[in-house]
Amino acid sequence: MVKSMFDILRELDAKRAAARAGGGERRVAAQHAKGKLTARERIEVLLDPDSFEEWDMFVEHRCGDFGMDARKVPGDGVVTGYGTINGRLMFVFSQDFTVFGGSLSEAHAEKICKIMDHAVKVGAPVIGLNDSGGARIQEGVASLRGYAEVFQRNVLASGVIPQVSVIMGPCAGGAVYSPAMTDFIFMVRDSSYMFVTGPDVVRTVTHEEVTAEQLGGALTHTTKSGVADLAFDNDISALMMVRRLMNFLPSSNREMPPVQPTSDPADRLEPSLDSLVPDDPNESYDIKELILKVVDDWEFLELRPDYARNIVTGFARMAGRPVGIVANQPLVLAGCLDVRSAVKAAGFVRFCDAFGIPIVTFVDVPGFMPGSEQEHGGIIKDGAKLLFAYAECTVPKVTVITRKAYGGAYDVMSSKHLRGDVNFAWPSAEIAVMGPKGAVEIIFRADADDAERISERAEDYAGKFANPFVAGHRGFIDDVIMPRATRKRICRSLSMLRDKRLENPWRKHNTMPL
Amino acid sequence: MFDKILIANRGEIACRVMRTAHRLGIATVAVFSEADRNALHLQFADEVVGIGPAPPRESYLAIDRIVAACLKTGATAVHPGYGFLAENAGFCERLEREGITFIGPTADSIRTMGDKIAAKRLAAEAGISVIPGSGIVLEDEDAACRSAAELGYPVMLKAAAGGGGKGMRLAEDDAQLREAFSACRNEARSSFGDDRVFVEKFIEEPRHIELQVLGDAFGHVVHLWERDCSIQRRHQKVIEEAPAPRLDQASRDAMGAQAVALALAARYQSAGTVEFVVDKDGAFYFLEMNTRIQVEHPVTEMITGLDLVEAMIRIAAGEPLAFSQADVRCDGWAIECRINAEDPFHNFLPSTGRLVRYIPPRESEGRVRVDTGVAEGGRVPPHYDSLIAKVVTHDATRDGAVAMMRRALDQFVVRGVETNIAFQAALLRHERYIGGDFHTGFMAEEYPSGFNAADMPHVDRSLLVAVAAFVHRARIDRQASVSGQLPGHELKVAEEWTVVLNGERYPVTVRPVTDGYVVIDDEHSSEIVSGWRLGEPLLCGARNGRPFCVQVEHVGQMYRLTHGGTRSDVRVMTARTTELLLRMPEKPERDLSRFLLSPMPGLVTRLEVDEDQPVRVGDALLVIEAMKMENVLRADRDCVVDRLLVQPGDSVAVGQRVMEFR
Repeated sequence: MVKSMFDILRELDAKRAAARAGGGERRVAAQHAKGKLTARERIEVLLDPDSFEEWDMFVEHRCGDFGMDARKVPGDGVVTGYGTINGRLMFVFSQDFTVFGGSLSEAHAEKICKIMDHAVKVGAPVIGLNDSGGARIQEGVASLRGYAEVFQRNVLASGVIPQVSVIMGPCAGGAVYSPAMTDFIFMVRDSSYMFVTGPDVVRTVTHEEVTAEQLGGALTHTTKSGVADLAFDNDISALMMVRRLMNFLPSSNREMPPVQPTSDPADRLEPSLDSLVPDDPNESYDIKELILKVVDDWEFLELRPDYARNIVTGFARMAGRPVGIVANQPLVLAGCLDVRSAVKAAGFVRFCDAFGIPIVTFVDVPGFMPGSEQEHGGIIKDGAKLLFAYAECTVPKVTVITRKAYGGAYDVMSSKHLRGDVNFAWPSAEIAVMGPKGAVEIIFRADADDAERISERAEDYAGKFANPFVAGHRGFIDDVIMPRATRKRICRSLSMLRDKRLENPWRKHNTMPL
Repeated sequence: MFDKILIANRGEIACRVMRTAHRLGIATVAVFSEADRNALHLQFADEVVGIGPAPPRESYLAIDRIVAACLKTGATAVHPGYGFLAENAGFCERLEREGITFIGPTADSIRTMGDKIAAKRLAAEAGISVIPGSGIVLEDEDAACRSAAELGYPVMLKAAAGGGGKGMRLAEDDAQLREAFSACRNEARSSFGDDRVFVEKFIEEPRHIELQVLGDAFGHVVHLWERDCSIQRRHQKVIEEAPAPRLDQASRDAMGAQAVALALAARYQSAGTVEFVVDKDGAFYFLEMNTRIQVEHPVTEMITGLDLVEAMIRIAAGEPLAFSQADVRCDGWAIECRINAEDPFHNFLPSTGRLVRYIPPRESEGRVRVDTGVAEGGRVPPHYDSLIAKVVTHDATRDGAVAMMRRALDQFVVRGVETNIAFQAALLRHERYIGGDFHTGFMAEEYPSGFNAADMPHVDRSLLVAVAAFVHRARIDRQASVSGQLPGHELKVAEEWTVVLNGERYPVTVRPVTDGYVVIDDEHSSEIVSGWRLGEPLLCGARNGRPFCVQVEHVGQMYRLTHGGTRSDVRVMTARTTELLLRMPEKPERDLSRFLLSPMPGLVTRLEVDEDQPVRVGDALLVIEAMKMENVLRADRDCVVDRLLVQPGDSVAVGQRVMEFR
């Protein structure tokens, strides 16, 4: 008997329903009990309502060993497709822990690869929601191939489209390397962890007792390792933040960053900034106050806020256009550069450069952190990474020196000499080789034992060099600005730089110190 | 009239005195300590003179330096404000020797009134009702007990030179009195350098009502009606008002007449305040006379329309009073709230630091007045008292003035430094305050264990729900206006939202209207119209045509709404997201009580405890250096240190966990 069209449609509905059911009611309930949403629920929260177009719902694995041929679930543990965030195109994959523990089979990997290929082709970001027990062991090397195919695509897409990973469950072993190669990693507290080798292996090999949370939980990776950018209390908060983040990023490197109109006047003055820098040069202040008071709508999305807190990085908008902000934080370690902060900022600068996001740098840096810990930790090469990143960067660069800009750190922090486009200084800026006391102790070594003379000479030195005008005389500083006018001056500079064109010489790629 | 005067003070009173001086065409000289180099009062002055380091003894109390500043600038008169040198007879005499006029009473008046026993004697002689027992210096405990037996217990033991609640002890029987005697004497000696004490009848449920007087050099004295300052916390006035509630006209007239009589007896020449206590039966007794301009003088200015600082300057310049008692008006009702930099939620600990945001309520002539001593970007230094501003409202009725004050406090934005604004707003909604039913024991009776945020449920929940929905919709709409959307698939923002407030879920419908949104919840429909811009800390607008102001702050993915003395963290989500949130078990609230949080940014200099060490309330735990000050963090209960989360040399942020207890 010929099937009626009605029956055919009903069959499709039934097949879809089976795919949507994922691992079944019991596993879904277990997922919820762990404080986790299901793969599809997560997509619902992430994307605009009714915008998700699912692909490959009927894909199944091709494994015949270990009785797997009898256990097939349509979709094979990952939901893939595309949809929109605030109307903008995004590709998404969301691993389904209720199906085979979200483990990665060859077919599962192919689904991910398919949307990644499309994303690169049309120029749209990929957002990966990771919740997977790891490789599908039953498939053996086929599963490993799957990982590598994803890795390869992560690499080729890097710098072409933004890639974001949200770790919402386990992510261990080789699986960590896909998120590791994406641009941003968000984690959920208590329900996610990332490590190359888990606590059991650690215990066997090194006899170290450590829990999964301690070894690779959200807190660990946002404070100690710096692997993750942000940690959240639950899935929903993490996904809402992805929505916020995506509003700052262009869809690809072929597109300008998205504009969001603002009612915040570009020429708004902030008189209280005139007193931000304390009278006492050794007193600290919170650079985030400056950031919040100059950006649009008091809105700053800070990345890695709890890691290397001596440098602040994040996105904001000025006159409606996204900017990447890098700022020394005088509150922490006096804002000096060290191994962690240099690498943190270097990665951020390179991301902004890759995607055409202008960089605004606020400088108050007394220098590099001294000590054998830093030297032995490789501050030479790590400091060079930040220097390299700024120097290589071709997006608009606006720099404001608020107070100290000493020594090599002055050069590094988006100085004029590293092709800074507009370099401003506040009247409180001190641009010099080092602090006055250190300088006179070297210049007047003969007087080193005479504290009074040294302090006299230091005062003299401070009077001559602890100001922005010495650099101003040489044109290293384009203007000395009133702190209250900082927003206005940056907005105007960025607007002047909107059509900036600058190319680096052709090469296969650079050999940045890694 | 003077050409140039020097103001030997700082903060709001210095600014306030200069305001009047400028109106009178008098040039002003401000003085400042090193802690006040960028202080607001310098901006109002024609000339400024630095007078030394931050500690008051080396600056604002340093008579030589202030005199030198007068001589250097050619100021011919000094206004002392309140506090510091305002009631220092030696300072008056010194100025006189230098040929500089003291804008205030004579040294004699200051000296007489500064001595409580002498003041009471003078008052008694002038026929003024004094508290029974006043005025006899006690030699020893036996004399005290004899005196008390005459008066009948309970009695109050007081230091002759005391003030501000210091050197006072209550005794219910001989034993307590004997015990209190030497302690009171020692305290009097160490605090005031004068160990004379006396005993007087203890007044139950006393109200603090004071009469403002003005006297000139020609023997004219008028009173400017009374102020009720009974709302006090540990003898510090919190809210003052004029006139006093629940006081009959006969008592007011009688107190006015006695205040004038006392000023006449003292040949008082300036603005002064005669303080009375009024007992629960309405009988009143003279307490003391303050020979300075009072913090709370603006409430009197509001109801009389007079400028007390102007009067002080004119009297000091030798002018006669330009009006008589019959000319003194008493129009409507005025209330003053003192805004202090202190944390009401943490036992009113003083708070210092940078005022990251500071937006006082808008002033309106004759209705809302703000006397402020700081501005946004300024600092509250740790060396001086914590008063940063005073808000004064004035209306035809007490209820009107209270309502106006509530609105004013809703608008007062301060960030970076904690203030008592929430506490003040809570008081203004207290039934007993609204009814005028209070005495100086109000605070101890109503807030025996301090002030807790949880004590204060918000009165208008649907307003908070509507404002949260408004703010969220405004943000979402802004985000949805981003460029680069897929043609034909642009985001249409949903109308159905859920507001989560204090754990309760409120489903609302939010629809745009001109300049705002209509928010419909189960019970109300609120049309909120406002010119608010994203990121602004204060959202003022109209809800169904009625004006309101709510403070909005972004905290993570929540909105922190401050209104009516309450602070609520609110989330707004789509209905679907809320449903999904419900599917997940509630995560246990992060228990921060197990942690010691750093109250300030700074550098850990010392750890005073080790892990596993038991500690008792008040034990030092660690030392944080901030703004070059060592701050000792102490245990607030008995517990055991579980883990140390920082090491010496670490820098810490505000709210960072530094220690875990068990």
